Amino acid sequence: MYHYLEHQKGSKTNEDPILYDNFMQRIENGDKIEANDWMPAEYRDTLIKLISMHGISEIMGALPEKEWVPKAPSLERKLAIMAKVQDEMGHGQLLLRVTEDLMKPYGRNRQHLMEDLLSGRLKFHNVFHMPTKTWADAGMVGWLVDGAAIISQTNMLDASYGPYQRALQRICKEEVFHAQHGESIIMALAEGTEDQRKILQDSLNRWWPSLLMFFGPASAETTGSSKQEITIKYNIRKSTNEELRQAFLDKYMPRVFSLGLTVPDETMHYDDVQEKWIYQQPDWNEFKLIIQNKGPRSKARLKVREIAYSNNSWVREALAVAGGDRP
Amino acid sequence: MSEQDFYQEFEVFSRKNPRSGLMHQFSLLAPNEEMAMILAQENFMRREEVMDIWVVPSSSIRHMTDEEREALTQRIDNKNYRTTKAYGYLRKKWQDKEQGMLDEQEIMSWKEVKKNRG
Repeated sequence: MYHYLEHQKGSKTNEDPILYDNFMQRIENGDKIEANDWMPAEYRDTLIKLISMHGISEIMGALPEKEWVPKAPSLERKLAIMAKVQDEMGHGQLLLRVTEDLMKPYGRNRQHLMEDLLSGRLKFHNVFHMPTKTWADAGMVGWLVDGAAIISQTNMLDASYGPYQRALQRICKEEVFHAQHGESIIMALAEGTEDQRKILQDSLNRWWPSLLMFFGPASAETTGSSKQEITIKYNIRKSTNEELRQAFLDKYMPRVFSLGLTVPDETMHYDDVQEKWIYQQPDWNEFKLIIQNKGPRSKARLKVREIAYSNNSWVREALAVAGGDRP
Repeated sequence: MSEQDFYQEFEVFSRKNPRSGLMHQFSLLAPNEEMAMILAQENFMRREEVMDIWVVPSSSIRHMTDEEREALTQRIDNKNYRTTKAYGYLRKKWQDKEQGMLDEQEIMSWKEVKKNRG
């Protein structure tokens, strides 16, 4: 899974100009920055914000999917969706580890991230605030939500920060399995009975605004300067929010239509002259509310996270003691 | 106990098969090395081919600084005398004598020697 980039105020750089120029030279040469290397504070802070949100979204993203483990329609589907849920938790672990190293100079660690998540300071991706109502939604998350995630994550495979880039190589390889897992559920429904096709279309209609929101607003006009520019400046990612959304539509719209599905937007079409998809903007005010934990399932999912953490504290304690006995 | 004291950082290395070198996979947090071993398998070996895993406390590893890594790229670049590159001209010489070159591929194929010849 992955996230749009939020807009934030542009931060000023009051770094040593020689170190800064040397740093910029390195990333322009395609060199990778490692955890203990010198880096501008703006670079560190941007990475912390980006990767902590990415990591925590992987973990929060497993919650709507795990609801479908007991309800999966066959043993094979159950095993596959369990494997996917475990992958997402694994991705979360990788990304939190990357964030922890970046936060070290600030004396912050994983516990602080979890506290920030529960207090609402650390946001998670808009799509994971939404309910999954039917099995088709489980398929839709695997197919189009993960599809959108793959578009934004592959855009950072050459990121200038070495540890993040290495985590992404691993994550994107596993996303291939997730993409095909989602396609398999969708394909079965699309080629199924009338009822199955109906829940599939209903699911796409429900998810459509969230999918458009996934990449974040196109411009920072409403919210000040944009973090997308900072991440592009530092060679963390290559493309803007809108370029990524267009790339997503390029890859997935033909597939959506080939299954006989429609999207709930009559204006949606590809403009040959402008060479881009024309679509109706989702309600960005609603988007802002969702990521402030005011979405339909925000509170409930945070509660699950909190309960899981406190209920499992005895397991952590027991394992620490058991392992400690070994000479 | 705070998580700061509870967890240690471990680096995870694994070997795909007996011929391959140990490869760094990633790092993780665990309360001790036994848990680190379990988490290494869960986090990094769900699909991968693997026959051996090492976990090492990150604090035991002496990393290079960025200056030291930079220095590695500044090493003298002409090392032909240490490689077979300097001897490439022999291929043509042997060809003229209707003989093959004893290159890496050829020499590495000498594992098997004809048997039952005394």
